[in-house]
Amino acid sequence: MDNSRLEMLVEELGASEQEGKLWRKLLPGAVSGATGNNLRETLREPLLGLLQELGETALGAKLKLVIERVPTFPTAELLPLVLELCGELRHDSEQAVRELKHMLSELATPIIRIWTDVLLVPLIGSLDSDRAQVMSERLLERASATRAKVVVVDVTGVPMIDTLVGGFFIEMFSAVKLLGAEVILTGIKPEIAHTLVKLGVDFRMVAIARDLEDALRRAIAMVEEERRQQRQITWGRGSNFSGEGGEHNDL
Amino acid sequence: MTFKERVVPTIRVGDCLLVPIQIDLDDKTVEQLQAQLLAEIQEQRVRAIILDVRMVEVIDSYISYTLSETAAMARLMGCRAVICGIRPPVALTLAQMGIELQGFLVARDLEHALNLVYSP
Amino acid sequence: MARKVRELLDIPADEFDVVVRIVREEDIAVARQMAKQLAQGLGFSLADVTKVATAVSELARNIYRYAQTGKIMIRKRLEENGGPTIQVVAVDHGPGIEDVDLVLTKGYTTYERSLGIGLSGIRRLVDSFEIVSEVGTGTAVVVEKRRRKF
Repeated sequence: MDNSRLEMLVEELGASEQEGKLWRKLLPGAVSGATGNNLRETLREPLLGLLQELGETALGAKLKLVIERVPTFPTAELLPLVLELCGELRHDSEQAVRELKHMLSELATPIIRIWTDVLLVPLIGSLDSDRAQVMSERLLERASATRAKVVVVDVTGVPMIDTLVGGFFIEMFSAVKLLGAEVILTGIKPEIAHTLVKLGVDFRMVAIARDLEDALRRAIAMVEEERRQQRQITWGRGSNFSGEGGEHNDL
Repeated sequence: MTFKERVVPTIRVGDCLLVPIQIDLDDKTVEQLQAQLLAEIQEQRVRAIILDVRMVEVIDSYISYTLSETAAMARLMGCRAVICGIRPPVALTLAQMGIELQGFLVARDLEHALNLVYSP
Repeated sequence: MARKVRELLDIPADEFDVVVRIVREEDIAVARQMAKQLAQGLGFSLADVTKVATAVSELARNIYRYAQTGKIMIRKRLEENGGPTIQVVAVDHGPGIEDVDLVLTKGYTTYERSLGIGLSGIRRLVDSFEIVSEVGTGTAVVVEKRRRKF
């Protein structure tokens, strides 16, 4: 294929500058007479570039034109290569989707230390099994590492709670309690309260607050109460620490 | 109680018995632990036992059941049972199986455990 | 059902990565440990490693309690889409179970010192659970847990 024919063809393809470069690389390689692996290697890079530049549909249309104009174009050789490249691209995009999902799950479940020994978990979006598990694991690790006394779970951003999601919550709350922390649940909308009762899901193991303000107030009260008890014990033990096992004096 | 009968060394702190479990529990050792703790509660007249399970990597249904039994027995002898230091993966596993560790007060750490022992 | 039981009972052990014969009480801990290592090696999360180990512990104990002897067989499967999966097959030639659905109810037990949470608990810990049993032939339980994608 000589240069002028190549340029005519590229022009006929209506290629932009970047695209034109790729065609100029692809076309001479395609009709150079190489076969097998050599041909595949030469075509691979420009073809991948064109796929990314144009997308499958536009590239298909343009290749049809090329095949009409260039009788020696190795169509049969090209087919498996194109399929292979499409597969690779799809694999890449699937990988990207996975990473995005992972990122989303991290973003959608921040765990905020909102007060001394109090963690806030504002849940946003719908929950599936995987996301719920990841979330529980992160929350548990964090609560354990920070020795949180109270975990406030705000479900204002959760669109729906069915039996399955209700089950996740019950598991998560029970697990938090096994660490020795308390759970306060808030943000249950009327329609969710309605479904929960109809489904027979009661969150009896946790305290429930009417809004975030109420939840925070109660959390702080719990933390203060524990501190007060602690002071009493230290004082009480100071006065009767004899190892006798005598009754503790209430101060 | 002789040294040999003890599967877990215990520490007396005030009128509590601290039980740091540093071994992986299996069916036999958890049964021995139960016998040991009951004997020690009687001998030492403690007001509470505090089980620290920070080092325990697996608590299955039988181990948790035997521990809960021990807590119930301790209660009948006038002794509180506190469990502390449950690892996050163990907590998730127990919760998923629907196991509650009945009979125990659950604490975050020793400090919290002592707090629970002396609270009304 | 009976055919399926025999099929599972006769799975050749060499198709598995780990085979633990359950004969003594201590073998329960051995099976648990092996399962833990395999799950760790496949990159399961810490919580999932614990869940696999706990499920195997329960399966091994059931064998020891109800059938005295049996086998825990574990293999990893590298499936392309679902990600790596651990499969545990627990088989015994014990008395078998008359009503499989009944034993799956939480709280059911025939053994005096047990919580009766065993099988129903295992089922909650794993992604797939299958039990086949025939009175007089034995029991086989197959469970699978896959590694989560993130």
